[in-house]
Amino acid sequence: MNGQAGRRTEVTRSGGEGMRRRVLAGLWVALLLAILGFLVIYPLLTLLLGALTDTNPVVDGFSLRHLSIVNFLAVLANPNVAEALFNTLIACGGGTLIAVVIGLAFSWIVVRTNTPFKGFIAAASILPLFAPPLVAGVAWTILGSPKTGLINTLFKWAGLDWRVDFYSLWGLVFVFGIYYAPYVYMFTSSALRNMDPSLEEAAEISGASAFATLFSVTFPLIMPAIVSGMLLSFIVMLGIYGIPAVLGAPTNISVLTTYIFKLTNWSPPLYNTAAAVAIILMVVTGALVFLQQKVLSGRSYTTVAGKAYRPRNLDLGRWRWFTFGLGVVYLLVVVILPSLALIVAAFRKFMFIRDAASLFDMRQYSLMHFYSIFDNPLTMRSIYNAVEVGIITAVVGGTLAFAIGYTIHRTNVAGRRSIDLVSTLPVAIPGLVIGVAYLWAWIGIPGGLYGTIWILALAFIARFMPDTVKALSTSFLQIHRELEEAAWVCGKGMLGTIRTIVLPLARPGVIASMTLLFVLAIRELGSSLFLYTSNTMVMSVLLLDYYEGGNLGKTAAFSLVQTVLLGVLIGGANWLSRGAAQGSVARAG
Amino acid sequence: MNNKIVAGMVTMAGVAGLGIALSGAPALAQEFGSPELIAAAKAEGKLVYYTANFAEVEQQVIKAFNKRFPEIQVEMVRAPGGQLITRVKTEAAAGKLIADVVDHSDRSLMQPLADMFQDYAPPNAADYNPDAQISPNLWPRATLVWSIAYNTELVKDPPKTWMDLTKPEYDKMTGQVFAQSGGTTWTRIMFERQVLGEDYWAKQATTHPILYPSGAPMADSLVRGEVAMGPLLYNAIYPKQKDGAPIKIFFPPEGAPVNPYATGIPKTAAHPNAAKLFLNWCLSKEGQTFMIKELGNLTSLKEPPIYPEGFDPKIVKVWLPKFDDYVKLHAAWVADWDKTFGYRQ
Repeated sequence: MNGQAGRRTEVTRSGGEGMRRRVLAGLWVALLLAILGFLVIYPLLTLLLGALTDTNPVVDGFSLRHLSIVNFLAVLANPNVAEALFNTLIACGGGTLIAVVIGLAFSWIVVRTNTPFKGFIAAASILPLFAPPLVAGVAWTILGSPKTGLINTLFKWAGLDWRVDFYSLWGLVFVFGIYYAPYVYMFTSSALRNMDPSLEEAAEISGASAFATLFSVTFPLIMPAIVSGMLLSFIVMLGIYGIPAVLGAPTNISVLTTYIFKLTNWSPPLYNTAAAVAIILMVVTGALVFLQQKVLSGRSYTTVAGKAYRPRNLDLGRWRWFTFGLGVVYLLVVVILPSLALIVAAFRKFMFIRDAASLFDMRQYSLMHFYSIFDNPLTMRSIYNAVEVGIITAVVGGTLAFAIGYTIHRTNVAGRRSIDLVSTLPVAIPGLVIGVAYLWAWIGIPGGLYGTIWILALAFIARFMPDTVKALSTSFLQIHRELEEAAWVCGKGMLGTIRTIVLPLARPGVIASMTLLFVLAIRELGSSLFLYTSNTMVMSVLLLDYYEGGNLGKTAAFSLVQTVLLGVLIGGANWLSRGAAQGSVARAG
Repeated sequence: MNNKIVAGMVTMAGVAGLGIALSGAPALAQEFGSPELIAAAKAEGKLVYYTANFAEVEQQVIKAFNKRFPEIQVEMVRAPGGQLITRVKTEAAAGKLIADVVDHSDRSLMQPLADMFQDYAPPNAADYNPDAQISPNLWPRATLVWSIAYNTELVKDPPKTWMDLTKPEYDKMTGQVFAQSGGTTWTRIMFERQVLGEDYWAKQATTHPILYPSGAPMADSLVRGEVAMGPLLYNAIYPKQKDGAPIKIFFPPEGAPVNPYATGIPKTAAHPNAAKLFLNWCLSKEGQTFMIKELGNLTSLKEPPIYPEGFDPKIVKVWLPKFDDYVKLHAAWVADWDKTFGYRQ
């Protein structure tokens, strides 16, 4: 981590030492690029090769003889791909809009107002993250199916002439929006918390209303966090398979991920075409990342400086019960309703529900599905494996992301732009396709990586690197250089500065990123499908198996097990880290 | 013990030149392999089993096998057909094929890989219908059969034949698995066009069926009432009926399309004896009976030990596709089907 060989260093240190630092910086960049080369570039090249040929690179050898753009042109000319792309943009665009409104509203409510039971609203805002997309999809098909959905059954029971239909593009937009709001919330709430309130106070002293202050000072100030959260939620939605698979299938609504899954699942499978469709996804994402950088470049967003401040709360008066009510409604829609649906499905013998009375007929309920899943020896093994992979991914991936994030945002070393670019690439590739690319790329590596937990962990680290690096970047962007410079002036070295200044200040961000990584790793399905072997079956793969096996009851029961497990693990980690984070903030302050 | 099986075993033993003393070993164990094979399998202690069938279903098979041979642990990798083939090919090319047994539903995908598998035949090889095999080393470990199922809560005037599914009164009540999904569905749509008539697809498409990616989610939808009726693999819906779901299943008189699996032991198998014993058991009368009774399969044995409930061989004829057609017609006919049903790919 000796990358801080920038101009400032050379001014303050002697020339010989500057040379030594430059060499070390070069080595450091080379090391990072080598790791990224292995994790990202090499698999990506096999994918590109796959998209441009009609062969399996491992089976037929890595040859360029069959190179052609026929696959690619066929994909571009296919009207169904265009339709899937259109659906994808509508679903993700609409979903992002909803996610931003919800996420921003709740982070403001939680951080900046005196709404009662804020802790409870904060918890509610994060909860949807625990639900794997497939589970969310299953829950909403139970609730929102036009024919058999519980919502419609209850409307009928209440004598209301209302109908909902979630097997539609609008259903998809709604479910995407409410489930990915936590991404926006996570970014914006930490930015709001770290913001210097004196700017807002200045606005109010100048006569601006609370509302005007919010839109003219507060939100513009945390724009990097909003844009990052927005972009990340959009990109994550682009790659989600579970929700559109469940809600889109009955009415044949394709998005790019479900289309790719279809291609790999057909008989015979069309991986090369799938790889070509994946390239389209990459182009869309690449354009978005470019846009973000255009929007954010050339402005300063540092609001955390070397001054002490106290976050302040806005007194909402009676309106605070309204904001509390919003929190309750969100909790009801995003957590309680889907959980009830899953509980009904998990405990009910069969999901045929004639009317509301039958819903409450207790003879229809039993523990049958739970007995059956725990009778399966794979269940316990998959839980154990998933937790192991999750921990490895969180620790190793978090560390790597910190190294990359620091190098990109806090140093001036040559090559940091390429590091930024390369570490962002995986975001654009859906898990299912990158899974094949990893299999193709890594199976031949001597030493037996294949068949171990580590190949899964490496795939997750690579796949979620952009999410983690972006999540960490916000923390880096907000720490003013003057704090580091102060340490420099006091004679601290590079590593010493990181240890005593950057790490403590960025700690909440680092822990949040590692937690995020853990959750993502446990939920990840697409790339696991190709890389797991008999000994390394993980929960998400088993869950898909239950779902594809047409066992709604077992799927729901296993989803509940997974959700409770994630909740307990993350709740525990949060509780442990809160003490540490508070301690470090107190020390730094 | 069945005379045929004994005869088959004697032939096998003679061919192999092993000269097994039939009278010496316990009669039952002989059905599954020689004492030497069983001892060697137990010494290996485990095998890795790749299957395209549902993990949950195969978990039951493994459990039943372990009742007979508790010393042998079966580790399973399950993936949908297309993904399984990609994985097998890739692993094999990298010299890292872990599988001791590969079990696949689409015989046309397995045929090109036949050279990858070692010579293998179960003790009761002679009892099997040769038409169900595409290569002497690949065996119909499981044989699946199509039926029609309906939700008794929603259908008061149920269909009785394949042709009934085209009735206008069932408009928007039917479901179907789409053609591209794999070998079993391809068998059914071939049957529909070759046996029920060139225009059967078009007639059925007028009832606006909901299309499903595979039989399992469709079976689930049938139980929930999302669809009221439709063709389903018997083994996808039978367990739900057994558990008490409001479902009735029947085998239409025009014929029952069946899809035999192709299952073999790779040459590279690290546990070849355990693999053989496992397949011997699966293919034995005991194994096949278990799969028919508990899982709702059919069998490719020439003389089925039993039939699934409601399957009367005097009325319903089993329909096996000609393998030549199965391979050659696939691309064009599936494209036709997609067009007829408005399925976009």
